[in-house]
Amino acid sequence: MFPVRKNAMLIRDFSAFTLGAVRAHPTRSLLTVTGIAIGVAAVVLLTAIGEGVHRFVLAEFTQFGTNLIAVTPGKTSTLGMSGAVISNVRPLSLTDAEALSTLPEVRAVVPMVQGNAAVESNGNSRRTMVFGVGPRVPEVWQMRPAIGRFLPQDASGHARAFAVLGSKLQHELFGDASPLGKRVRIGGEPYRVVGVMESKGQMLGFDLDDSVFLPVSRALSMFNRESLMEIDLLYAPEADSATVAERVHNLLERRHGTEDFTITTQDQMLEVLGSVLDVLTMAVGALGGISLVVGGIGILTIMTIAVRERRHEIGLLRALGAARRQILVLFLTEAVALATFGGLMGFLIGAGGAWLIGAAVPALPTHTAWDFVLLAELTAALIGLAAGVLPAMNAARLDPVAALRDE
Amino acid sequence: MRLDDDLRFGVRSLTTHRTRTWLTLLAMGLGTAAVIVLSALGEGARHYVLDEFTQLGTHLLVVIPGRNETTGGPPPLLGETPRDLTLDDAIALRRSRLVKRFAPIAVGSAPVSFGNLEREVSILGSTSDFIDVRHLELASGRFLPPGDPARSRPVTVLGDKLARELFGNQQALGKWVRIGDRRFRVIGLLASRGQSLGVDLGDLAMIPVASAQALFNSPALFRILIQASSRSALPAAEEAIRTLIRERHEGEDDVTIITQDAMLTTFDRILNALTLAVAGIAAVSLMVAGVLIMNVMLVAVSQRTAEVGLLKALGAARRQILALFLTEALLLAGAGTAGGLVLAFTGVRLFNSQVDAFNLVVPLWAPLAAVSVSLLTGLVFGLLPALRAARLDPVVALSGR
Repeated sequence: MFPVRKNAMLIRDFSAFTLGAVRAHPTRSLLTVTGIAIGVAAVVLLTAIGEGVHRFVLAEFTQFGTNLIAVTPGKTSTLGMSGAVISNVRPLSLTDAEALSTLPEVRAVVPMVQGNAAVESNGNSRRTMVFGVGPRVPEVWQMRPAIGRFLPQDASGHARAFAVLGSKLQHELFGDASPLGKRVRIGGEPYRVVGVMESKGQMLGFDLDDSVFLPVSRALSMFNRESLMEIDLLYAPEADSATVAERVHNLLERRHGTEDFTITTQDQMLEVLGSVLDVLTMAVGALGGISLVVGGIGILTIMTIAVRERRHEIGLLRALGAARRQILVLFLTEAVALATFGGLMGFLIGAGGAWLIGAAVPALPTHTAWDFVLLAELTAALIGLAAGVLPAMNAARLDPVAALRDE
Repeated sequence: MRLDDDLRFGVRSLTTHRTRTWLTLLAMGLGTAAVIVLSALGEGARHYVLDEFTQLGTHLLVVIPGRNETTGGPPPLLGETPRDLTLDDAIALRRSRLVKRFAPIAVGSAPVSFGNLEREVSILGSTSDFIDVRHLELASGRFLPPGDPARSRPVTVLGDKLARELFGNQQALGKWVRIGDRRFRVIGLLASRGQSLGVDLGDLAMIPVASAQALFNSPALFRILIQASSRSALPAAEEAIRTLIRERHEGEDDVTIITQDAMLTTFDRILNALTLAVAGIAAVSLMVAGVLIMNVMLVAVSQRTAEVGLLKALGAARRQILALFLTEALLLAGAGTAGGLVLAFTGVRLFNSQVDAFNLVVPLWAPLAAVSVSLLTGLVFGLLPALRAARLDPVVALSGR
């Protein structure tokens, strides 16, 4: 980058000159660096929080496995869910779910209906979420029973009255006693507890631990309805989600005559979610960027002052034969050096702050977004360059005679 | 020295170094404008959401079947219960004098067809009061007829989008459409209002609630909307409804009641917090601008060492020198902020005149906070340079280079 000609300055001279200029006014340089550092730190910290939230949400969604396809009744054309989930004239039935499980790529199928009912056990009662599901939940939703077992594989329509409790519900109803084999009444009907799920925690506000799992056919009759609310499919990991979705679509359309259902692949959902979260991270990064721009104005101001103060020196250099380009490069180097150093400091502050937040508040996940770090550093250097150009050109344009005479 | 001397001294020193002054003003102005515009964005979003909510109706209570005992968890928004919330429950609520209007809602989805065009849409079963409870308007025709809610009638009111899709430019009123396996006569069209909190009110068909229950073969209601007689009656109405339903459900407390106020307060709190956070992030740039002010003031002090020495030699007290430089720093911060305010308010006005769907609203606290923060920044960051000037020894300052 430096012009190496016969009487050109050496790189060593360049750095000595720049470092000397920076060191001559330590407070001033420090403050300039601080300005940029605050800006970069803001970008790094904010994007770290954004990226952390991004990962957190994606993890929440993928905890149920990744090779999933959900089928819901009703054709949703716009945002929001279709009224068909609640009631419809063309139900998504249990036999639909059974038909789907015969598809070659489909590993397991979980028909699902969800509701709310009171669960009673020797005097204790608790109103809670009820999931009517098939026996393959452990595979498809990737949640295992902690004690006992999950609902058995009974012939459809002849499911025994067994129930599996969520860990919180078990605690509320039975305390420390083992619930296995105990009788509970759910929605007025007697069930026998065969298992307790391991704790899964909150999932986007829903507490899955405060719930009970029943055989889907029994839940449908308890709620007096024929249509499922959702069918979840687990497909073979080597299969392509679009092809499987296509097959599911064709099968259901053949069975129903029309397309009165909606298919959502997890890929699609994650993609949509990911892009929304990306935009969010970008937006907070841009918010931090405002400070970076203000810091850039700081460099511009200080460089303008520096050129004015060092007119004499510049005049001398020019009189000794320094080319205009060399003067230009000198001042540009100083600006970029200030900006880059500020960027580095900012990165340390920002990443350190993100780490501190992550350590102090485990609920708020942070993750340093390296692409944004790189972007912020580049922007800082570029801002230094841009802020240096005008003053440096002014310096280069100085007439040596006039500059030297100037007191 | 008097105040106007302080000011004149400050103004003159700022006008001698124009570039430097302009740049500092620019930095300060950008910071201020960012704070104002971003808080206006947040406040605008808040107003938008609150408007959407108030459009839902006034003094509104929503009764939802089912109740979760998880504390702090969301209500059971969709889902089934062993004991349905029925039309008889809804009619019983009319007995309370705190209930002004009520609209039971049954929701489902079914194909609506006319001629050989068919469209699968949400079907909303309700009563004649629904239009008043939800503050909807008709484009033409009339709404579902009043009368016994338990009587089903073959009439329907279509959303504007559905009517357009099925009838195009034809007159829809008076025509017979098929919903599911039943025939209904179109008696009214809803005026277009676009999306309302994610529900497309244009793409649906409304039928009497009893017809919807027959169509979907289910006695269960999805919701009951209730308009209380006044705002102050809301808590009492909630209690009365809970008691009535408990009596009807054999002593079991199995419904969730949400008041419009509760929803509003929640959203209000979230959006306020967001606005504050965004404005706070923007305020970081004010700090950066403050650092710049400090830097520029330090340069100014070192350049004017001789001048300060002279002033001191002439008998100026430390406090007076301090006041001089602080005034200059405050002038910089104040003028920058003023510029930023002008910039921000012009920008907001320009945006509002160009965009109809969404309005920026500058909250009252934003300019106040921006001005006080930036003046404070000027004061804090101006203090160090001013102290340095005040502490100069007159002899050294006058002789030194």
